[in-house]
Amino acid sequence: MKTLIVNIRSWRIWPLFMKELRQITQDKKLIVSLVLPPTLQLIIFGLALNPEVTNLRLGVVDESRTAASREVVSAFVESRSFRVGDYYSSPDELSRAMRAGKLDAGLIVPSDFAKRRDRRETASVQLLLDAVDSNTAGIAQGYAARIIAALNQRLASPSGQESVTLKMEGSSGRRGSIAARIALLYNPGLESTWFIVTGVLGILLVLNGSLIGSASMVKEKELGTVEQLLMTPAQASEIIAAKMGPLCLLLSLDIALALVVGYTVFGVPVRGSLLLLCSAGMLCIFAGIGIGTFVATFSRSQQQAQLMGFFVNPPLSMLSGATTPIEAMPGWMQPLTLLNPIRHFSTIARGIMLKGAGIDVLYPNLLALLCFAVALVWISAWRFRKQLG
Amino acid sequence: MKRIIAQARKELTQTFRDRLTLTLALVLPLILLALLGTAISLSVTGVAVVVQDFDRTQLSRDYIDALKASLTFRVVPWPLNRRAEEALTSEQARIVVVIPEHFERDFLRGGQSEAQWLIDAVDANTANTMRGQASSLTNAFSAQHGAGNGSSTGQAAIKAEMRMWYNPGHDSQQFIAPGAFAIVLALFPPLLAALAMSREGEQKTILQVYVSSISAHEFLLGKIAAFFVIAVAEWALALALAMGLFGLRFAGDPTPLLVGTACYLFCSVSFGVMVGAAIPNQASAIQAVAGVQFLLSFLLSGFTFPISNIPAGIRWISALVPARYFIELARDAFVRGSGWTAMWHAPTILALGGMFFFFIAWRKMRHMQM
Repeated sequence: MKTLIVNIRSWRIWPLFMKELRQITQDKKLIVSLVLPPTLQLIIFGLALNPEVTNLRLGVVDESRTAASREVVSAFVESRSFRVGDYYSSPDELSRAMRAGKLDAGLIVPSDFAKRRDRRETASVQLLLDAVDSNTAGIAQGYAARIIAALNQRLASPSGQESVTLKMEGSSGRRGSIAARIALLYNPGLESTWFIVTGVLGILLVLNGSLIGSASMVKEKELGTVEQLLMTPAQASEIIAAKMGPLCLLLSLDIALALVVGYTVFGVPVRGSLLLLCSAGMLCIFAGIGIGTFVATFSRSQQQAQLMGFFVNPPLSMLSGATTPIEAMPGWMQPLTLLNPIRHFSTIARGIMLKGAGIDVLYPNLLALLCFAVALVWISAWRFRKQLG
Repeated sequence: MKRIIAQARKELTQTFRDRLTLTLALVLPLILLALLGTAISLSVTGVAVVVQDFDRTQLSRDYIDALKASLTFRVVPWPLNRRAEEALTSEQARIVVVIPEHFERDFLRGGQSEAQWLIDAVDANTANTMRGQASSLTNAFSAQHGAGNGSSTGQAAIKAEMRMWYNPGHDSQQFIAPGAFAIVLALFPPLLAALAMSREGEQKTILQVYVSSISAHEFLLGKIAAFFVIAVAEWALALALAMGLFGLRFAGDPTPLLVGTACYLFCSVSFGVMVGAAIPNQASAIQAVAGVQFLLSFLLSGFTFPISNIPAGIRWISALVPARYFIELARDAFVRGSGWTAMWHAPTILALGGMFFFFIAWRKMRHMQM
């Protein structure tokens, strides 16, 4: 046992590791940049990317002006998805207001509305939706359909001799009906932040890892201290490993930070194994640092490395399904996301945190992440050696 | 005036000499625009659905066929003996539909049969849309198979006719692409300007400027003019791409957008120059511009979700984000087409913002020059 410890301590990588660690902990700016931006990003992302549809501004043209028509309007307002922006006297005026972007939706109750209701005919109202934002319009359409359906049900039940007779007819011989019983799993409250926070976590780990990895590598190059490192008996792979280790330790603080922020600010739970999540996070950080060092082998200065980052980071974060659903991407693009470590990490993070999944389900993603980490580190070590050899 | 032009020409020559910067300036905006326009979308199609059919009758097969026929859902195979929830946890499917035994029998007897839908609601927005699709698909199926529409009220009392205006095809690219256009122009022109400006500070060539006869505003205007020219080139390329790839067309009077573009580019270039003047270090300047512009224009400009959804505590910030006004302008020009009456405020605000940034940069420069 004792010899083992002595053995480990005599590894060449050890002093290198300690040197890097000391260098990093002395860099106050680096530590601040590791803590502050991720926290801010997580909070702003979580707060700002909110697809919830409430308080849509509804313009109303009530040509009927009866109790029946007011009932329709109040049904819309009660739902809290809509609020009345203004009343207009004609459809033309309404359409002008919509065109100017003052309204999200318009409701037109025609003049024969009450008459048709009295005659027990189907009375129709017209609902106009500003579909420039097609997502919001689609959801609003669903809400409106539900509001009208609920109103119909309410109108039918107290007054309805008709409905009673129909029901009897239905049970005697005619076919029944089919309904969808819908259960929303894992996130029954439809908290959109849960999706965003678990996705942004992966983006943060990879992007911060790559940023810091490339910065610390290029700094050595810029200052010319890389030659000094090469003079030591350590091998290129050892130098790289010693560089990455402390960074990895430091970045793992980001995992803890993000989990705390996610839990306290947004109430995102961790339903599965925390240990598994952290190890997946470490792999993700490794992949990020690997990307950073890889980029660093192509650039001579900090500024160049950062500009190169623009070619790598946007595709990485956008083609990951971390903030938008993968199914919404074009078909040919969807398989490409499998090459993205962030995609695998978001699957893992969502699996562990929200679905309580374990390693038996998530092993393909973990394996993929491991492959990325190893391959990226290996390639950058190889390029680094070639450049300096 | 002559000195401004000379300064601008010098700046352009310098930029064209640096190959990395040049590709950054002209190629990257296009890549990013294409990426943002295609990858960021919220209208899902082909959502993977696992169906577990315990009934195995004509009716249940018809129901599955109805599922298969819809563009939204894509049925993927799943062995009956494995737990269906595993398909959700491993993200091989987003939805599980369980058709219980006696599905057909109950229906034929006139009762209510239920198909159980388990929806992975981690992505709340998609789940919400899926919920709507699931019930409308089932209602349509139920009606088609000769039954009352579920609620057994017979004829509905009120019917809503819904019209989707301006974007009847529900095409989310019509919404995202104009925004992507704005984000690209928020990021790259100021980035180049900030780089050039902070390089002067970093390499101390700014001292030569101090001792020359050029005054602070001439120097700044020269820089801004040069990068404005590049920005216009980027704008033209991006516009061509957006029209070609995403099929954007002017919906109405294009002049608000043209005037607004000039103001917007002036505003974002001035912002870059201001940052560059404040931070005489290229690496930090890049980080500052990229961080601020990307975060603000991406998150607080109404690019993906409506601004009214942002909590009030930070919503006011979005009023300070130039991209927000340009996105409004671009969406109006390409989709709604309402023209000057609705849009006059946007170019005004952008121009004022540009002047503000210019003023700060000028204060900074004049201060140093004294």
